[in-house]
Amino acid sequence: MPSRQPTRPNATTEFFRELQTHGHEPSLVKVSGTLRFDIVDDAAAPSHWLVSLKKGEIAVSRKNARADCVVRSDRATFDGVASGRLNAFAALLREALSAQGDVGLLVLFQRLFPPPARSEP
Amino acid sequence: MSDELVRLLDGNTFVVSDSRGDIEASLTDPTGLFSFDCRYLSKWVLTVNGERLNPLSVDDLQYFEARFFLVPGTGTVYVDAKLSVIRQRAVGGGLHEELTILNHDGQPLALTVKLEAGSDFADLFEVKDALKKKGRYHASVKDGQLLLGYEREALHRLTAISASAPAHVDEHGLTFTVQVEPHGRWTTDIDVVVAAGPGGRQVRPKYARGEKRAQPNMGRSLERWLAEAPRLDCDWEPLHAIYRRSLIDLAALRFSPPIAGGASLPAAGLPWFMTIFGRDSILTSLQTLPFTPELAATTLRMLGDWQGSRVDDFRDEDPGRILHELRYGEMTAFEERPHSPYYGCADATPLFVVLLDEYERWTGDRRLVREFEQEARAALAWIDRYGDLMGNGYISYRRRNEQTGLENQCWKDSWDSISYRDGRLPGFPRATCELQGYAYDAKMRGARLAREVCKDPAFAAELEHQATELKRRFNRDFWVQDGQYFALALDADGKQVDSLTSNNGHLLWSGIVEKSKAKAVVRHLLGPRLFSGWGVRTLAEGEARYNPIGYHVGTVWPFDCSFIAWGLRRYGFKAEAATIAAGILDAAELFHGRLPEAFGGYERGVTKYPVQYPTACSPQAWSTGAPLLLLRTMLGLEPLDGHLIVDPALPDSIGTLALFDIPGRWGHTDAYARGRPELRKGARGRRDGSVRQPVRRAPAAGRRSAAARRSAS
Repeated sequence: MPSRQPTRPNATTEFFRELQTHGHEPSLVKVSGTLRFDIVDDAAAPSHWLVSLKKGEIAVSRKNARADCVVRSDRATFDGVASGRLNAFAALLREALSAQGDVGLLVLFQRLFPPPARSEP
Repeated sequence: MSDELVRLLDGNTFVVSDSRGDIEASLTDPTGLFSFDCRYLSKWVLTVNGERLNPLSVDDLQYFEARFFLVPGTGTVYVDAKLSVIRQRAVGGGLHEELTILNHDGQPLALTVKLEAGSDFADLFEVKDALKKKGRYHASVKDGQLLLGYEREALHRLTAISASAPAHVDEHGLTFTVQVEPHGRWTTDIDVVVAAGPGGRQVRPKYARGEKRAQPNMGRSLERWLAEAPRLDCDWEPLHAIYRRSLIDLAALRFSPPIAGGASLPAAGLPWFMTIFGRDSILTSLQTLPFTPELAATTLRMLGDWQGSRVDDFRDEDPGRILHELRYGEMTAFEERPHSPYYGCADATPLFVVLLDEYERWTGDRRLVREFEQEARAALAWIDRYGDLMGNGYISYRRRNEQTGLENQCWKDSWDSISYRDGRLPGFPRATCELQGYAYDAKMRGARLAREVCKDPAFAAELEHQATELKRRFNRDFWVQDGQYFALALDADGKQVDSLTSNNGHLLWSGIVEKSKAKAVVRHLLGPRLFSGWGVRTLAEGEARYNPIGYHVGTVWPFDCSFIAWGLRRYGFKAEAATIAAGILDAAELFHGRLPEAFGGYERGVTKYPVQYPTACSPQAWSTGAPLLLLRTMLGLEPLDGHLIVDPALPDSIGTLALFDIPGRWGHTDAYARGRPELRKGARGRRDGSVRQPVRRAPAAGRRSAAARRSAS
């Protein structure tokens, strides 16, 4: 089984806040596009994170604007992804997370999610 | 009937049935309608008046459509039917079936026609391993459609079945009450649509009602695919059939990943391996570059986009590592299998750089190289940082996922494939020799790309220095002095795993062999212990584990031989390359143009015919690619700057060989070769299984200069 470190509450918010200060990302220099993450809470309206990728530069905002790829999941799932506990693509396959539009962007964006904890030192 | 399975396929949607067209799968039985690694139909049984039907014949019209001719009754000695049934089927986004009943009698017929349907929604891995399902099934009828469903947490799967003729639909299938006039006919269209996602986001069937002509799902039709490939002309007639078979099978093996925007790459094998594989997709792309270079482009894009970016023990992932296999099924989705994707292979990462360079040499597409420069750098970094598990400067492998990861991460991936002469198996990590060859080649080719495309001469010089150093150490550490060949591997203690194997041929292909050692290696490859007369055995006769029908311990693999022939050409052994090509092509003729994954290592003079290794995977991509690569080695095709060099060496069974409209950075060009006619005369028509010697004379040059060949030193 994959590693099972705990999900941090607020991991989603922490992840995107850190992404704002991430700086240049060499593994994404060829990528241009926008992703919007719609995080669904039980009662409240979904919260949005808009990420724009351009030549390795990453810009993050809270805008609910059109994007090339729209990713949607509940908060628990995304907290899991954002803390390295859940694998985003596996979550997509089991429909715990959905992606509309250019799903290839999500495949590349995955490089920014934290790795799982090591199962051995 | 399971020995006569009929398989139709379009990308990774495929249907496997018996010769009646029926499906009666159990959890362990591999029939059904599959899409994206899920079985959407496990039961699909046609009866007329309660009786099963009897197959008269099956026409495989194309790889994606077939026609079943059936009559009522089974098991009788002879058939005297007053009616016949034609079941025409095509796959694509599901299944489309046109069912026709012909009344041959002067009396009207009243019939009850029933199609029983059911689905177990098994994951492909569950079919292989016979595992139990964890989700919930449902079945319902809505608007005349039968809906079969499966749910597990948020995962939804749906099969929707409908017909054009009036039918009674219940949860077990469709029943038609039919009147057929004297000498008349009755017909209906049946659509099976597969869908995933909440609410069943349905995929429109490819061949909806009224569409009379099935077309495959790919960007190009089969006709265009064949028309756009280079044209072959050869006086050895079987080569035409072999070439055409290869192109058609290659078309069937195309897989269009959902994120590839309609472009396709070669999947590994049909039908169970219709997905992205690092090793298989790369090696097949290398074989087919002179014929269908767009497959290589898609392979590079997909593998580059999916390159590993973190250390993940479950997936055996490292930064820079190229994936082994990607799957879409339920067990992958719930992380009961690591294929999302799984990275456990040690050769795909250096081979990715090899393909990137070879692709640029053929096509001149520098844009793609620049686009994947970061991935190429990360792959090269992986070789030294993560690939070198023992810290001895060699790539080795040991899985970190001990439950569901792969033990052997090289192409010879069966449990007993890596052995010492005396049959003992080494522990892990294992540094197999061909991995070091690929690493050397990746560094040399990476250096060329760095210098010529990326304008980074310092990095190029560093890579060349590393490569030279690797070659020097390798020729010292892997050379088996008392055998005069390269050891299969180094074990965890750095000792030689000293059996003699076909891997030596891959070393020639990669260029890591010092020139002074090449002759001795070639003597082994064409010698009696390794060469069977058809091809090169995976493990030499005389080694403890040698078995002529052992998967990687004695059989002959056509793809292996095609790369060995390429290696022989690289070191200037033209006649020997032609000998290998002749053996494999003769085998291809006897296999009706379609080379199996592997065949027996028996001496050619003993069995006369090559003995097929039993395998569920046919056609297999890199076997399909083998004749194409052999065409390249026989013609001696090498791109050089803006030109294509033609430097042929033909076996004596072939007098003339021409390939027209070879695509590349030169636009399109032709290649001609001529053998020696006086030697050929005696050979024509001779198919007695004896080994023929290839032409030894320096062959006539093609249209282009025969001078330059890539330096082998």
